[in-house]
Amino acid sequence: MPKYMLIMRTTDDAVENFGLPDFTAVIEAMGRYNESMIKAGVMVGGDGLAPEPGLVVDFDQTPPVVSDGPYGETKELFNGFWLLDVPTIEEAAEWAKRAPLAAGSKLEIRRVTDESDFPDANEWIEKEKEWRASEQPS
Amino acid sequence: MPKYMLILRTVDEAVAQQAMADAGMDLDKMVDTMSRYNEQLFEAGVLVGMEGLDDTESGSVIDYSSTPPVVTDGPYGETKELFWGFWIIDVPSKEAALEWAVKAPLGPGTNLEVRRVGSLDDVAQDNEWIRKDAQWRRELARRAAVKAGVEV
Repeated sequence: MPKYMLIMRTTDDAVENFGLPDFTAVIEAMGRYNESMIKAGVMVGGDGLAPEPGLVVDFDQTPPVVSDGPYGETKELFNGFWLLDVPTIEEAAEWAKRAPLAAGSKLEIRRVTDESDFPDANEWIEKEKEWRASEQPS
Repeated sequence: MPKYMLILRTVDEAVAQQAMADAGMDLDKMVDTMSRYNEQLFEAGVLVGMEGLDDTESGSVIDYSSTPPVVTDGPYGETKELFWGFWIIDVPSKEAALEWAVKAPLGPGTNLEVRRVGSLDDVAQDNEWIRKDAQWRRELARRAAVKAGVEV
């Protein structure tokens, strides 16, 4: 079954408004949404990124040059993701539409590549399966 | 221990493609080079997860500015706004994350964005949903282990 990633995107306006409602209510809305996907058995994983700007590594030169973030404007960044195991992108979109997000927010949906995208990479595909089997839970 | 996400970005597609052509990089060689890097992360015990994404044209975008949200086809934005995949690594500091980031086999036209992954420690612990989140993560890890056990 293909996997799809729901990628959280936002704008400056949405970030400003996000601070206004009760944070506990936001956690609860997200919690209920996550719970519905866990119970349906479609959620594979997810993580949110911390708001601090991070770092950017630019590979135009050797060695690469490191600078302070953010990587770009608010709309270029992403804030977190859900990984879903569903048969089609349409089904991923159905789950996405139920996310408790407000005006100024978007979800980008992309298919996650799997071994069918790399048919000739036999040795590495076997190794990668072993790595995944022993990855620590995120 | 904090977790960091290394986010693969293409800043200039033409530059990136030319650099790959100059390096004689085809799909096989790319898989080989990336996998060697992945193997280093795995063997050092820092790799928590990684995924690569399909091309942007086949994606969709959901806009929550109206109710119900509106779904459209196609890329979210310009090349530099998109990303292609990520690694999540479990390391003691931002500096340690950076040491791994600069070793990635990437070339001109590409950037890695390094961000800390949020943890349950960032929020109040006396919340029912935070406790559930911790349970779900254990449950998802269990399901993944069962699935890997069947498939490997």
